[in-house]
Amino acid sequence: MLMTRGVSDAFLAVSASASSRSLVVPALGTRRRFFSTLLLPSSSSLSYSSSFHFGACRRLARRASTMDGRTVVRAAAPAQKLENADELIDSVETFIFDCDGVIWKGDKLIDGVPETLDMLRSKGKRLVFVTNNSTKSRKQYGKKFETLGLSVSEEEIFASSFAAAAYLKSIDFPKDKKVYVIGEDGILKELELAGFQYLGGPADGDKKIELKPGFLMEHDENVGAVVVGFDRYFNYYKVQYGTLCIRENPGCLFIATNRDAVTHLTDAQEWAGGGSMVGAICGSTQREPLVVGKPSTFMMDYLANKFGILKSQICMVGDRLDTDILFGQNGGCKTLLVLSGVTSLQMLQSPNNSIQPDFYTNKISDFVTLKAAAV
Amino acid sequence: MLARSTALLSFLRSRARSTPISCSFLSSFPPRAAMTTANGTKPPSSSQPLSPQAARSLIDSVDAFLFDCDGVIWKGDKLIDGVPSALQALRSLGKKLVFVTNNSTKSRKQYAKKFTSLGLDVSEEEVFSSSFAAAMFLKLRNFPREKKVYVIGEEGILEELRLAGFSCLGGPEDKDKKVELKTNFWFGHDKDVGAVIVGLDQYINYYKLQYATLCIRQNPGCLFIATNRDAVGHMTDLQEWPGAGCMVAAVCGSTQKEPTVVGKPSTFLMDFLIERFKIETSRMCMVGDRLDTDILFGQNAGCKTLLVLSGVTALADLEHPSNDTHPDYYAHSISDVVELSRTCAI
Repeated sequence: MLMTRGVSDAFLAVSASASSRSLVVPALGTRRRFFSTLLLPSSSSLSYSSSFHFGACRRLARRASTMDGRTVVRAAAPAQKLENADELIDSVETFIFDCDGVIWKGDKLIDGVPETLDMLRSKGKRLVFVTNNSTKSRKQYGKKFETLGLSVSEEEIFASSFAAAAYLKSIDFPKDKKVYVIGEDGILKELELAGFQYLGGPADGDKKIELKPGFLMEHDENVGAVVVGFDRYFNYYKVQYGTLCIRENPGCLFIATNRDAVTHLTDAQEWAGGGSMVGAICGSTQREPLVVGKPSTFMMDYLANKFGILKSQICMVGDRLDTDILFGQNGGCKTLLVLSGVTSLQMLQSPNNSIQPDFYTNKISDFVTLKAAAV
Repeated sequence: MLARSTALLSFLRSRARSTPISCSFLSSFPPRAAMTTANGTKPPSSSQPLSPQAARSLIDSVDAFLFDCDGVIWKGDKLIDGVPSALQALRSLGKKLVFVTNNSTKSRKQYAKKFTSLGLDVSEEEVFSSSFAAAMFLKLRNFPREKKVYVIGEEGILEELRLAGFSCLGGPEDKDKKVELKTNFWFGHDKDVGAVIVGLDQYINYYKLQYATLCIRQNPGCLFIATNRDAVGHMTDLQEWPGAGCMVAAVCGSTQKEPTVVGKPSTFLMDFLIERFKIETSRMCMVGDRLDTDILFGQNAGCKTLLVLSGVTALADLEHPSNDTHPDYYAHSISDVVELSRTCAI
């Protein structure tokens, strides 16, 4: 497996699994025209791998120990209940928070969040918010934080909508090419800010198709990338448009903002997530996407580079094992699972679960209450 | 083995040239020896282009021909050239004809109507659709009558379920439903849903995905059944369209579960065919346009297999080094089977 690290290296790993064919891709930061080096015939059935595999391999490698010449993989140590919040807080310089299920649920703040963030800031900690939710742009998230009474600036927010645009920028995606979007306003806004032309998005939500003789659905041959994220206006028109671009436009990229199965879009319950829309396109194209959101380390590498932070100085706080915690582990950070979102203690401790964060606690306000208890 | 098949092909070509009736079919496929893959290696020895001799021997050695529909009999609502005469010829030779389709949008009855409207004489009992397969799967499992079935799919699945005596929700009536992602909004779902069936659905939307996701994740023991997983298909004559594989993968993406697949390449339907026609699978030939469903289905069941290039698969796909599925023979379309056999010098 090709092992690489950092924004300046390829975050796209080559998966050598027997069931998929792999393509070695050039390094991200080399400023080569990635797009032009990947011209594939339209009938090509080569597939791409997400950095999910890359992350998994790194974790295994970290845990491997060598005994009498053989490589042995130790099982992950079970997560510890957070007792000494101070110790954790003092040991890192930056906290990265997931949003849905950690800061809020839908449009409702989770108890104790404002005090917790204030406390961490007063201790000089840098706060960053990394969300896989691509429905809003960074600017729109900034407004949401403000509405909820939290003082968070746009520069502290990294949504997967931003990640998709940042990724295209990093590979010098040609400005004369277009991006087809199966997703919501957030992705469109970020693409526009980054200077890319786009098609699709919510406007295609009302488009219908007619499966009748002689009916031909056209698609723009200048589409060089299809970006797929959560889309409540998902329909067959969009699936066909995205599928035609990926299958027939040579070298067309297939990018996923994230693959979350379910998400707390409202406070009351779970909702089918971006993993559903991405799955649909995988099903019709038989290709795997490049994933820019968690657990891919693209956003981690980006912000570490931007803020000049050492990853060992970061604690990732999230509610989901296969995105947030894996993201933190892939990046070499400390990890804290909160049980205020999609993951229960039972799921964490289930024998079927192999992802163990360093710590777990009920919600982030435990930083304050546990601290108070220790006094 | 490669040398042998190359030699055989050369032999057949020379024989073809020596007969007064031209075999233009053979000349349209370059000899195997001349074909190389992208990286310069020879393809592995596998499928043969259907020759007159092979066509004759194929017809003689099978009692039943199993045909896929999309890309084999028709494309969308347009018949593929030469189909009516080919089917007629096979019937007159005493062969049983069976139509096995993964397209779940119609019931067997509705398919029979389609055949009739296209001028083909095919009865309901000769059609085995994946919509029928889904209903039979539940029947064989003694799915409780007090439980309900949620359907992401079209009328075909609903009709077969009703015929089998099951109560269903969803399908086309959910096509215009929208969701409201607002505070305190509650998306309810029926706790009595004991199975979710997913097939091709041109009216797919978020409401249906969410409903199915909640049933599978929250109703204890809820089954997740896929009629099929075809990536694309010829839903119209002019181009390919996303198939059930798209809808099924969408639900896999939100539930992180894998479905039970009742359509090709699963051999679930084969049991019904054997029951009905009392023919051994070795005396059947599966004719299809898709390697990972039709041909695999035939191979899994022990039938002979013939790939036709009139649908989703091109010769380049068959010969691609990454392709692991090799039918016994390949031909342009089903009319070749009869035409070639007639040109076979006795």
